[in-house]
Formats: sequence, structure tokens, C-alpha cells
Amino acid sequence: MSTSRDDFGIVIRSALLQRGAKQKFSLFVLILLSLFIFILDNSNLKPIKILRSIINDGIYRISAVSSSPIKFSGASKDFFVKHIFTYEENERLRKELEDLKSKNFQSSFLEAQNNELQNVLDLEKNSPYSVVNAKVILDKNSPFLNSVIINKGSNAGIKLGMPVLNEGYLAGRIVEVNFVSSRILLLNDLNSRIPVVVSPSGTQAILSGVGKREPSLEYLPDNFMLGEKESIVFTSGKDGVLFPGIAIGKVVLNDNKKLVKLFADPDQISFVSVALDQQEDSGAR
Amino acid sequence: MALVLSNLRETLFKLGPLILLVFICISEFHTQFYYWGIFTFNFQFIIIYYWILRDPDILGYGFVFICGFINDVVLSLPLGTSALSYLFVSLVAAYVRTATVRNSLFTDWFTFVVAIIIGNFIYFFLLNKFANADIKYTTLFYNSLFTFILYPFFWGLFEIYKKITFSRRND
Repeated sequence: MSTSRDDFGIVIRSALLQRGAKQKFSLFVLILLSLFIFILDNSNLKPIKILRSIINDGIYRISAVSSSPIKFSGASKDFFVKHIFTYEENERLRKELEDLKSKNFQSSFLEAQNNELQNVLDLEKNSPYSVVNAKVILDKNSPFLNSVIINKGSNAGIKLGMPVLNEGYLAGRIVEVNFVSSRILLLNDLNSRIPVVVSPSGTQAILSGVGKREPSLEYLPDNFMLGEKESIVFTSGKDGVLFPGIAIGKVVLNDNKKLVKLFADPDQISFVSVALDQQEDSGAR
Repeated sequence: MALVLSNLRETLFKLGPLILLVFICISEFHTQFYYWGIFTFNFQFIIIYYWILRDPDILGYGFVFICGFINDVVLSLPLGTSALSYLFVSLVAAYVRTATVRNSLFTDWFTFVVAIIIGNFIYFFLLNKFANADIKYTTLFYNSLFTFILYPFFWGLFEIYKKITFSRRND
């Protein structure tokens, strides 16, 4: 018994301390070094944060360059797939065009009415947010993290917690800011929790990422029922960080679970707008 | 000139596993697929375990440490998390290499379970205790399971690669 314990000790010691012909460091030294770096990184010291920021910026750039073959192959595949399905798409678009033509008359009327009402309220016709546009440079998912890196950071005025929009819809929020890059936590990430309001009922809920494409609605009242009308989810702004009224997606039922089909598809995000500020009066819109 | 080219080619062949490991850590290479629902595996564990076990001269511990460091930056994990996890996988591989005389696929495969358990335990313990990250244990289980199941497939590929590299060295 003691002999086998001795053998185990000898082999472990040998594995930890031995260096091969081309090994510069022993495992023991590297494990200690990793622990030291881990403790330093968790210490939240300002110089360490600055150093980490610089390292992040450097590695993100290298990573973006090294990912270009993967991006190119993905883009080529999309290009061929699109061409193969052009005929079907053309037919579908023709039908949609007919539908839109009929709706156009209705929307012209609504637009005129809207302009009239805005004149009454004396509101400016500008975008509700002042934004910084950015490009996604790295989109690496792990089984436990859904986030993307963008090419703008604190140099463009981006701060932690700011909402990120994709084609006007909420895509996520800023969780890490470096000098020339930032990380967006997407809405479908396990760690994402956003206070929302479900329209038209006005029900409050929390939108929680579940690691899959569609996040789920949690903390809904027991008597919540989906109406005949489409239920759209907006930010409620209750956390005091995100602006209220940003459209997120529509509620869908899946195995009795209330999921949200996001308007900004987390897998298709290439360009985003980081909302820096909400214009005055936009809350009234 | 021919000798220089031949040496360069041989060096590139020998660096293959290291280049692959760095590429996986730094690029957008995905090992998670939404469409397949549960399919996710840890390719880094497979590469590290195989090469540390079978030919430690090709993949040094220092490079394993650096790859872990890069992976942490790219995935925004606390620095040192992946490095520690990878180094413990290397430790199991080094232990098996020292303790056993003759390696076969089955001994490699079944000792790999220990490496996966220890590697993932360290990874998730550090993430859970220090990064306050939510962890889905079913995903963790599927990740470990598929990493284990896929090992023989990559073992076969790496064996072929090793034979090609070895025969080139003997030419």
C-alpha cells in the first residue's frame, strides 16, 4: 500500500518537475505562474487593469487578422447559397412587393397623421439616441459565453453597460471596455439579464439568456397569457442603465416556455451602434 | 537551397500541432454549434493531451501556458484560468507517460477521462468562485462527453500525421 503511494509520489514529482530536451519550464513553475497571474488579475488593481486592457487590444487585433480565413470561407459559402436560392427568393420578394404596395397607402396616411401629431407636440425629428457605429472584429463563442468584440473603445466614448443596437434593435450591452476595442455581451448569453416590458399588455419581466439563440422571459405574472396580437418585447429601463423603449423581439411559445425571437439575430451581427446617450424628449416618443 | 527548403518544411511539419492549437485559441474557430443543440467539445484538451503524452518535444509546456493565456483574453475569462486548466491536463498526460511503459489507444483514451475531469473541474471552479459566471452543467457534461467520444478519431488523425512527420525525418 505504502509502496504504491510512494510510486505515485515519485511519478507526480517527476511529471511536475522534469523538463524534456526542449522544455524550457517545468509544469510546476508554470502552474505557479498561472496562479500568480490569476490572483493579480482578480485583484482589481488599476495598473493591472490598464495592462490587461493593452493586452486585450493587442490580442483582439491579432485574433481579427487570424480569423480572416474563417470569415472569408463563411462569406463565400453565403455567397453561393444565396445564388442557388435566387429564384425562390425572387418569387417570395415579388409576393412581398405586392403586399407592401397595398400597405403603402395605409402607411402614407399614418405618416401624415404622425407628422401632424408631432407638430402638435413640437418634437424634433431626429434619432432618439446619439450613437457610435462600430464593426464586429471578433465573434468567438464558447459553450458558456456569447459575446463579440467591436473596434471601438473608450477612445470613442464607450462606457460599461451602454446598450448596443443592431439595425435599431437591442443586440446586447457593453461588458468590457478597452482603449480601442470593447466586448458586447449578447442577449442570448447565460449571464445576460435585461428588465423588459411586454407590449401591448405592459407586463414587466426579465429577459434571461439561456445559452441558445432565443432568450427566455422570466418572472412573468402567473396569469400572463399571450394575446391574439403579436407580443413585442421592449427594454423597460428599470435597471437605470438601459434606455427604455428599445425594441428587442417578439414573444414565441416553445413547449409552454415563453421565449423571445430576437429582431437582431445574434449570429448575424456585423455592424452595431453603441447608444451613448438618449436625446432629450425621445422618451416621449 | 534544397536543404534549407527541406529543413523549413520539416520545421513546419513539427510545428503543425502548435500552430493548430494557437489558431484554435486565437481565431473564431467554433466548437459549439447551435443547430446541433448539444454538440460541443474541447479541441484544445485533445491536442494538448495527445501531444504531451505522445511527443512532448513537439508541444512544450510553455506554449500550452501561452495558448491558455490567449484563450482567456479572447473569451474574456480571468487571466490564468485556461492556462491552469490546460497545464493540469498536461500534468495528467505527463503522469501517464511517466507511469506507463507501453501506450495504446485504450490506455490513452481511458486516462483522458481523468484529464477531462480535472481540467474542467479547475476551469469551472475558478469561473464559479471568482468570475461569478453562470454555468450550465448540462452543457459542461455534453462538452466533456463529446470531448471524450471524439478522442479516438483525433488520435487516429494525429497518429497518421506523426507517421508522416516521422517518415519525413527519416528520409
